[in-house]
Amino acid sequence: MREPILKVNNLHYSYGTGNPALKGVSVNIYNGEKIAVIGSNGSGKSTFFLNANGVLKADHGEISYQGTVINKKNLKELRKNIGIVFQDADNQIIASTVMAEVGFGPMNLKLPREEVLHRVDEALTYMNILDFKDRPPHYLSGGEKKRVTIADIIAMKSEVIIFDEPTAALDPLNAQMLEDVLVKLGQEGKTMLISTHDVDFAYRWAERAIVFDRGKIIADGTPLEIFKNREILKQANLKRPTMLDVYEMLVEKKMVKNTDAYPTTPKELKILLENNLYYPESSVPMI
Amino acid sequence: MENSSAKRLDFVRTNEKSDNSHHHYKHHHQIGHKHGEGSAIDYYAYASKIRGWNPSFKVAFSVLTLLLCIVLNNPLVSLAVIVSMAYLTVVKGGLPLGAYLSVLMIPLTFIILGTVAIGIDFSRQPIGQFNLYLGFGYLYTSIAKLKEMVFLMMKVFGAISAMIMMTLSTPSSEIIGVLRKAHVPKLIIELMNLIYRYIFILLDVFNNMRNSADSRQGYCDFKTSCQTFGNVASNMLVLSLKKANAYYTAMEARGYEGDLVFLEDEKPFQISQVIYAVGFMLFLLLLWYVTK
Ligand SMILES: Nc1ncnc2c1ncn2[C@@H]1O[C@H](COP(=O)(O)OP(=O)(O)OP(=O)(O)O)[C@@H](O)[C@H]1O
Ligand SMILES: [Mg+2]
Repeated sequence: MREPILKVNNLHYSYGTGNPALKGVSVNIYNGEKIAVIGSNGSGKSTFFLNANGVLKADHGEISYQGTVINKKNLKELRKNIGIVFQDADNQIIASTVMAEVGFGPMNLKLPREEVLHRVDEALTYMNILDFKDRPPHYLSGGEKKRVTIADIIAMKSEVIIFDEPTAALDPLNAQMLEDVLVKLGQEGKTMLISTHDVDFAYRWAERAIVFDRGKIIADGTPLEIFKNREILKQANLKRPTMLDVYEMLVEKKMVKNTDAYPTTPKELKILLENNLYYPESSVPMI
Repeated sequence: MENSSAKRLDFVRTNEKSDNSHHHYKHHHQIGHKHGEGSAIDYYAYASKIRGWNPSFKVAFSVLTLLLCIVLNNPLVSLAVIVSMAYLTVVKGGLPLGAYLSVLMIPLTFIILGTVAIGIDFSRQPIGQFNLYLGFGYLYTSIAKLKEMVFLMMKVFGAISAMIMMTLSTPSSEIIGVLRKAHVPKLIIELMNLIYRYIFILLDVFNNMRNSADSRQGYCDFKTSCQTFGNVASNMLVLSLKKANAYYTAMEARGYEGDLVFLEDEKPFQISQVIYAVGFMLFLLLLWYVTK
């Protein structure tokens, strides 16, 4: 068995006086995994992320990073290795130019100036915002700010990257661009956790899905397993991905053979249709 | 609000093709203050075409000009400063003249109000070269006094336009960077940086709250307006505390350990600019010497 890169054990957390936001969360995350974290509003996703990054201190339970249990002394290591893109971009941006903002993390890592500049350029190019470099963040739009905050974390080159609803503010083109960036980051071997309400995105991108409901993990498995389980979907207020519905309908109406190769994108469906059209033996296909 | 979003658009254009952006600006700018002048000045600084000049140079140049203008105490020097600073800001910096005048309006009002007291005096006897009988006494003045007043006005105006040249071409973050290089204590620098960013966040929050209240008839009559204002104000307090917390969290998540250091753009000194600047100073001195 592989050693998990991040191991969370029986985590409890409550905000100030209020109700508990996390009630015993345990999960093992392995190197290079692409995980979608799903669940309804207020189910505890953001809280879980902040705990995993060591920003919120759990009331109970422990977190280990690469086998080392995190305590006050090695908290810095955890933060260095786990980057988090916050849900609200305005809570993350602290500098007054985009360049200074993206350079903030690398500067805190005490990297030499040349390296910082290089990383800033690289991250801005990744997010397609190189020409915003000298602009002040307070004159950017919501989606542009979001892209800046994503570049922030890319520039830190942390092993594990957490995105809290990254696609929420983006237009379709930039959401697609972000997906391309995620693929690139995946090829670099990064471990990624993304919380999202976009089930279609979770279905096509993730290798593993974790479902939160009222501060607990109620399901953990491949997106296919989870989205086929109607009970879980109902409990977590989720809906089924369109591609899954389409595929099952095609199979049900005997239009494609049931190959268990579930398509997750229209492109995959097209390939499937080209190869697996269901022809009853006796009849001649009509075109 | 409409006005500011239109400006935002222009800003994008300015970046893309800074040469002909001039025309876009002009048609919708008039003298006056549509929204918070503070943020307008900040905005102009980012859009300025001489933003690329080395900020230390700009700060040093404008401070020296200001000092010369005050120390030399010469109307011609003041005039030269006023004209050349306007030239730098409007022609070199590409700021529309209307916008420049609107920024100057505030200090100008103060200067006029402040210097009138020097030029015009009050007395029970009809003295002075000109006087105006008001029933209970005389408002009087003289050519010499008026001259003194105008010269003072020009001196202050020159000094202020030197400062305004700096603020309209150098974003605050760069000015803070210059202060840091000048060894202003770290605590003050960090505070300035955070406050600067915070101002915009709170302004944004405030604008959003006010607009959303407005769109829900929150300002329909006087009583409701007062109530809404109270709600918005108390909400601002809670929000700013929450935001401060969220901020600290986000900074910690990116490895903040008590030292706030930002990446600064290095804008090289241009020798030609320094030579021009020295030439300008010498010219001012010469002007003073000749007309002394
Ligand atoms: N700063 C806070 N102070 C007090 N309670 C909070 C705070 N943030 C979240 N909560 C509460 O904690 C619970 C979990 O919230 P969390 O933000 O983790 O949800 P989430 O799964 O990220 O939801 P969403 O999909 O809306 O982002 C909610 O019941 C929420 O009301
Ligand atoms: Mg959330």
